[in-house]
Amino acid sequence: MENFSPRRLAALLLVCVASPALAQTWRPPTTVKTLPNGLTVVLSEDHSAPTFGLCISYGIGSRLEPEGRSGFAHLFEHMMFEGTPVAEKGIFDRVTESGGGFNNGQTTNDFTQYFESAPISALDALLWLEADRMKTLDFSTKNLDNQRSVVEEEVRVNVLNQPYGLFFAFELPGKAFDKYPNAHNGYGDFKDLDAATISDVESFYEKYYVPGNAVLALVGDFSSDEAFAKIEKYFSAVPAKPAPPRPDVSEGLLTKERRDQETDNLAKVPALAIGYRAPSAETHDALVGAVAGELLHNGQASRLYQALVKEKQVALSVSGGLNFNNYTPFEYKGPTLLGSFIVYPPGKTEDEVLAAYDAVINELARKAPSREELERVTSKMRSDWYDQLGIPVQRAQTLSHFQLLQGSFDRAYAIPEELAKVTPDEVRAFASKYLVKSNRAVINRIPNPSPAAKPGANLAPAPGAGLRFSSVSFNAEPVFGPDPVSGGAQ
Amino acid sequence: MSSSSRSMAGFISQAIVKEVFLFACFAPLTLVLALPASAQKDKPLPKDLPPFGPEKPFQTPRVQQAKLENGLTVWLVSEPGFPKVSYNVVILGGYAADPKERPGLSDLLAATIDQGTASRNARQIAEQLQDAGGDLSASASRDAFSVSAGVLSSKSSEGLAILADVLQNATFPDSEVALAKRNLLDSLESQEADPHFLANRALARVMFGNGPYSVISPTKESLTAATAAELRAEYARRVRPDQALFVAVGDFNADQMLSLVRQQFANWRVPASVAEPPPAAPSTGDLSHAIYFVSRPDSVQTTIELAAFGPKRSDPDYTAALVANAIYGGTFGSRLTSNIREDKGYTYTPGSFLQTFRSAGTLRTQADVRNAVTGPSLNEIFYEMNRLATTSPTDRELEQAKRYLVGIEAIQMQAHSAVAGQLASLWIQGLPPEEIGAYSKKIAAMTAGDVDAAARKYFPASRTAIIAVGEEKVIRDQLALFGLPIHPAP
Repeated sequence: MENFSPRRLAALLLVCVASPALAQTWRPPTTVKTLPNGLTVVLSEDHSAPTFGLCISYGIGSRLEPEGRSGFAHLFEHMMFEGTPVAEKGIFDRVTESGGGFNNGQTTNDFTQYFESAPISALDALLWLEADRMKTLDFSTKNLDNQRSVVEEEVRVNVLNQPYGLFFAFELPGKAFDKYPNAHNGYGDFKDLDAATISDVESFYEKYYVPGNAVLALVGDFSSDEAFAKIEKYFSAVPAKPAPPRPDVSEGLLTKERRDQETDNLAKVPALAIGYRAPSAETHDALVGAVAGELLHNGQASRLYQALVKEKQVALSVSGGLNFNNYTPFEYKGPTLLGSFIVYPPGKTEDEVLAAYDAVINELARKAPSREELERVTSKMRSDWYDQLGIPVQRAQTLSHFQLLQGSFDRAYAIPEELAKVTPDEVRAFASKYLVKSNRAVINRIPNPSPAAKPGANLAPAPGAGLRFSSVSFNAEPVFGPDPVSGGAQ
Repeated sequence: MSSSSRSMAGFISQAIVKEVFLFACFAPLTLVLALPASAQKDKPLPKDLPPFGPEKPFQTPRVQQAKLENGLTVWLVSEPGFPKVSYNVVILGGYAADPKERPGLSDLLAATIDQGTASRNARQIAEQLQDAGGDLSASASRDAFSVSAGVLSSKSSEGLAILADVLQNATFPDSEVALAKRNLLDSLESQEADPHFLANRALARVMFGNGPYSVISPTKESLTAATAAELRAEYARRVRPDQALFVAVGDFNADQMLSLVRQQFANWRVPASVAEPPPAAPSTGDLSHAIYFVSRPDSVQTTIELAAFGPKRSDPDYTAALVANAIYGGTFGSRLTSNIREDKGYTYTPGSFLQTFRSAGTLRTQADVRNAVTGPSLNEIFYEMNRLATTSPTDRELEQAKRYLVGIEAIQMQAHSAVAGQLASLWIQGLPPEEIGAYSKKIAAMTAGDVDAAARKYFPASRTAIIAVGEEKVIRDQLALFGLPIHPAP
C-alpha cells in the first residue's frame, strides 16, 4: 500500500463521483478531437501498464452492404489485412506480433472495427500501418479469392457444420424484418460471396473507408498531446472525404406475429428463437429495453431462467436480450431485435415452451417490477458494462463505437448512471408496447428425424458479427470474459 | 450480446481458451528494440515504417500470500482503480478425482453446488450475487474444480460471503439435483452434435486410455445413476480447504481482504479422509501414430485434431516448446496459419497450443477444413510439424515469437480475471506465483538451440495421434493414402 506504483497513480487520476443512486461512477479522463480530413480521434490515458489499445471503427457494417452482395462487409473486413502497395500481405501481422501485440477485425450490423493492443513501444509502427491502409489497399484478385475461401470456411465452421447454425442471428432477422438492410443475412449466401469482384472491393473501400466515416480511439500509456501529434503526423496525409449519407433503414413495429419452422440435420435437441422489433440504441426506449432484456435473460436470477428452466422445466437454457444477436445492447444504430434463444427438452412442445414464455412476458407488461429487483438487475448491468471499459483495447473499442454511432464517447461512461434512473414503470411500459405477440417473429428449429433422407434443410448461411479469426459467440459474455479455469482445461 | 474472440492467441477467446499456455510477464523486457532484420525469404518492411520505440518495464503484479490454519492457501493481488474484484477458488481434483464408476460427476457437482446452502436457496444465491454485480461460475477441469465470480468492488464483501457459503454449506437439495441431472442429460445429447466436443472426447480417450485424464464429460450412465447423496459425499470429501487456493484480484485493500477471507473461511473444516493424490502420469509410450475417426453424417467439414505428448508446465523445456509452438501454429503469423489459411484458404480456424496438466503435457493442433481438402490439409499439417522438427527457424521467426509471447501476456494480465485465472493455473500445476514474473525472462533467454531441441523432441508428426470428425467416407477416401491405421475412435 505504501508503494506508489503506476497502477496506483492511475487509480488516483480516475474521477470517482458519489451519487445517491449509485455507489460509484467510473470515468477515466478522455478527450476528442477531429483532424482536418474528417478523422475523429478519441484519446484516453491509462498509465496502469506500458501498453496501448487502438481501435478504428468505420461506419459501415452488414446492414448497409449492397443488395446481391450479402456478406460483403465482412468479406471486405478480411481484405483490410491483405496488404497495401507499400506494406505487402503478411506485414501487418508480422509487425504486430514482433511488436508483442495482437490484432483482429470484426464486422457488426452498424460498424466494422479493427483493433490492436501491444506494448507501447509498438505504437508508432501500428499507427503508421493503420494510416497506410486508410490510404489505399492492394486490390488483388488472388487475395480476394484466398479470403473468399477463408470466409466460406468461417461460415461452414460457425453455421453450416454447427447444430442450430446460429439461426437466431442469421435466420431470425429475415423473418422479423422487411427491408433488405435489416432482413438479409450478413454472413452472406455463398452465391453472393462467390459473385463478389475486386471492383466491388475497390468501390466499397472508396465509399466507406474514408476518414469522415471513421473514429480512431486510443487508450494507454501515453501523453494525450504526444499521441495526438503522432496521429496527426501519420493520418493527415489521408485525403479528406466525408461519410456517405446514411439511408433510412427504419421500420415500424410488426402488426402480426410471424411463425416459422425449420429442420436441422445436425441438432439433436430442439430450439426456439424469438425476436421483437426494438428501437435504435440512442433512444430512451432502447435504454429501457436493455434493462427489460436483462431482467428477462441475465443469469440464473433472471425471470425467464427461473420460470422456464427452474419452475416449469420446459427449457434447458435461455439466453437473449436487446440486440442479442448482433452486439451489446448499446452499440448499434437502427432497428434491432430484443429476443431470446431457447433450447428445450425433446419431450416438450413448442406450444408448451411459448405458453410459459408468454406468461413471463405478459406479467412484465402487466405489472412493474419492484424497485429492489430493478436495482439488482442494473447493478449486474453496471458490473458487466465496466467489463467493456476495463482494459485499454476494450475501452478503445467501446469509445470508438459510441463516438461513431451516437456522436458521444462520453455516453459510454454515462451508461451506469442512465441505467440507475430507469424506473419500474418505464420497464413495464416498454414491455406492454414492444413485447407483444403482434410485434414478434418466432422460429422453431427441430432436429431432422431422418437427416440422410433430407439433405440440406434450411441451412442458408448468414452473420452478424464475423471476426477475422475465431468463432463467434452470441452469448452474453464480456469481450474479455473470465476464463474460469485453470489447470488443464478442456 | 455477442462477443469477440480470437482463436490464435488464446486471447479473448471462447473458442480455444482451452490452453494453459501463455504465461505472465511483467518483468522488464530485455529484448532487442528494433524491428527484427528480415531474413532472406521475408518480404521487405515498408521503408517509412517507424521503428519500435524504447521498451518500458512491466510491473509484475504483487501477490500477497497467506495460509489459513485449515490449510487454505490465499493469494491476493490488489489493483486499485477499476471498480471490480475477481474471485476464484480452485480445489485440486476435477474429473480425474471422480469415482471410477461415475465418470464426469464433477460436472453435476458444478451444476448443483450453487443450488442451495443451509441458509440460502438457489434463487437467493443467484439474486444476491446479481445484486453484487456478479454471477457464480462453477466448473470442472481434469485437475481441478473451480468456483469463481466477478463482482463490483463496492459489493466485494457481499459477494465473498456468498462464495464462502457455497463452498462450505452446500446442501444439494434432491429436487435441484434431479433437475440438474435431466438438464445435463439433454445437454449431453445436444453436445453429441458438436464436432469439437466429439473430437475432444475422442482425443482424451486415445491419449489417456482408461487413465484419470481420459474423461472430459459425464456419460448417460453416470448421470442417470448419480444421486444427491453421492454429491453430498463427494463434496464433503473433496471440497476442502487444505486442497484449495483462494485468489482475489482487483480493487481492494489487501489487509482488509485478508481479514474478510479469514472471517469467511476460518471455520471451513478439513475432513478426516485423506486427500486425493495427484493423478498418475500417463504412459506416453502407448500413443500410436494412427487416425481415429468419429462418423458424423451431414458434416460439411472435417474437424481435424492432432495430439502428441508434450512438456508439463514445470518441465525445463516447457518454455522452449512454447516458443517452438508459436512459430509452428500458435499465433496468427505462424507457419501453419500462413500456409493452410492465408496461402491455401483451406480453413478459418487453424491453430496449435500446449495443454498442460498436473501430471502430463500435450501438444495439440486443430483445424476445421472443408470436406474436399481433408487430405491436403493433413498433409500440410504433417509438413509443418516435420519442417519445424528438422530445420531451424529463422532469426526473425524466433525473435518475433519471443516478443509476441512476452508482450501478449502483459496485455492479457491487465484483466483481473486473467490474472486470477493464471494464478490458479500455476497453483494447480504446483508452481509458485513468482512464476508470473519469471516468465518473460525465461522466454527472453531462449536460444535457437533451445527451440531446436524442443522442436526435435516434441514436433515430429510421427509422434501424433490424429482425430478426424466428419463424413466417414470423406475421411476414409482422403486419409487412406497416408498409410496409417484407421480406426473408429474409442
